[in-house]
Amino acid sequence: MVGHQLAGNLIQGLILGAVYGMATMGLSLIFGVLKVVNVGHGAFMMVGAFLALSTFKLLGLPPVLAVPVAFIVGMLLGFIFYRVAIKKLIKGPELSSLLATFAFGIILEEVVKLIYGSEHRGYNWALGKFSLGVTVVPYTKLIAFVGSILVAVLLYVWFNRTKAGKALRSVVEDSEGARVCGINVEWEYALSFAIGLGLTVSSGVLLTLFIPVGINPYMGGHYTLKAFVIAVLGGLESPYGAFFGGLIFGLIENGSYLLFSSFPSLEPFAMTRFFSFVMLLIILLIRPEGLLKTK
Amino acid sequence: MLKVDKLVSGYGPMQVLWEPSLNVKKGTITSVLGPNGAGKSTLLWTIFGTVKPWSGKIYFEGRDITFTPPHEKVNMGMTLVPEGKHLFKGMTVYENLIMGAYRKEAEEKLQENLELVYTLFPILKERAQQKAGSLSGGQQQMVTIARALMTNPKFIMLDEPSQGLAPKIVLEVFETIVKLKEEVGLTILLVEQNAEASFDAADYIYVMHEGHFKAEGRPEDIRKSKEVREAYLGI
Repeated sequence: MVGHQLAGNLIQGLILGAVYGMATMGLSLIFGVLKVVNVGHGAFMMVGAFLALSTFKLLGLPPVLAVPVAFIVGMLLGFIFYRVAIKKLIKGPELSSLLATFAFGIILEEVVKLIYGSEHRGYNWALGKFSLGVTVVPYTKLIAFVGSILVAVLLYVWFNRTKAGKALRSVVEDSEGARVCGINVEWEYALSFAIGLGLTVSSGVLLTLFIPVGINPYMGGHYTLKAFVIAVLGGLESPYGAFFGGLIFGLIENGSYLLFSSFPSLEPFAMTRFFSFVMLLIILLIRPEGLLKTK
Repeated sequence: MLKVDKLVSGYGPMQVLWEPSLNVKKGTITSVLGPNGAGKSTLLWTIFGTVKPWSGKIYFEGRDITFTPPHEKVNMGMTLVPEGKHLFKGMTVYENLIMGAYRKEAEEKLQENLELVYTLFPILKERAQQKAGSLSGGQQQMVTIARALMTNPKFIMLDEPSQGLAPKIVLEVFETIVKLKEEVGLTILLVEQNAEASFDAADYIYVMHEGHFKAEGRPEDIRKSKEVREAYLGI
């Protein structure tokens, strides 16, 4: 019986983990290329969540259709934010870009609050569900799962097979080397920042399919913290590492939920968060370069 | 081909270049000699544009390129060969070379330039599928030169091509540089600490010290001048 429950939880964890993974790819991409830590990460996911809500409630369209829109919105925000702040700050001390992303996150939260208010809002997009024996999976979550994997694969192909992707890879390897090849390094910086935020905002769309209590403008902080744990799991600089880090995180989160709920005195949901950060601490202590990093 | 007029630049508040002026004639090898910290590398990186000029002018084929961004300079047929450590170490030798042919005009001449590179450096053809980071120091230097040739340049600048290499390899690298002038028809500006190797290869020499040019002339004249050699080159 416990075995069944665990298997069920792990399947749910894997599905949510794929979305976590996609959500963290943007964070890792931006850190890998620009060495900028996007502390406003969760706020960008929140923007995606509200785009999904608006697509569904105002336009009556399936929220997944908001994914490409969210990607474009994220890229636009990325280009603007890069132009007004990051461009000047990447050469400065790390703290300045960190504060800038923090500030931008707050601005986004307040703008969304002005439009939507601060109460929780939810929507109900139901397509039915199917049973796997040990657990029941709604089709909406299956779509989010497949969608996340698809995005990760697309990014991988773009990075490794296209000329533009290879140019960005060369900037990550050695920016001076890229410059002498005639690559416009400043443009590659702007582009990777924009793609990173595009990924982050679109992951916020998929995330709404997993939040039963609904969304509000301040939902992001929680996901920023999770993304940091995942990014460290995945080796910080690698978007694919982040994706696998997300899968692992999802498994651990849901697996430990079951473990903690077997102690009557504990509140399992709070304990999973505690457990995640204990994990982050341990990884940072024993393998500060990240769990999945090969070198 | 390249003309630099009273160039001033540096890092943060620290001025490194104190108005050196230089002229590189088409089809020649010009060498800037001087000890470590003389500002030789800064001179090249300022001409290329990674380090921003504070004042002064840079002309390439008569055009003012003082504030032209680096990638546009590569488009004009100018590039820089940095020290070997600026390779894409995680990529194969072949991938490194292909990155050199990034811009459109270079991509059109990719096959032609690849053949040229493999003729100059046959070892790179053998090692094409190896990771660049796994090569020896001399071979890595060859890859940086080869990658620069893939950009289809008219003019290349070399930053201390002999650095960290064994004497025999230094000789080979300089033979290659002379070949680039004579057989490929490139114009070359190189900065070096290794005076002897430069005397043999260069057509014209500038001697740099603490951000100033202290002497200039044909290699035989610089070699003859005891005071220049003792005061600035330590030989």
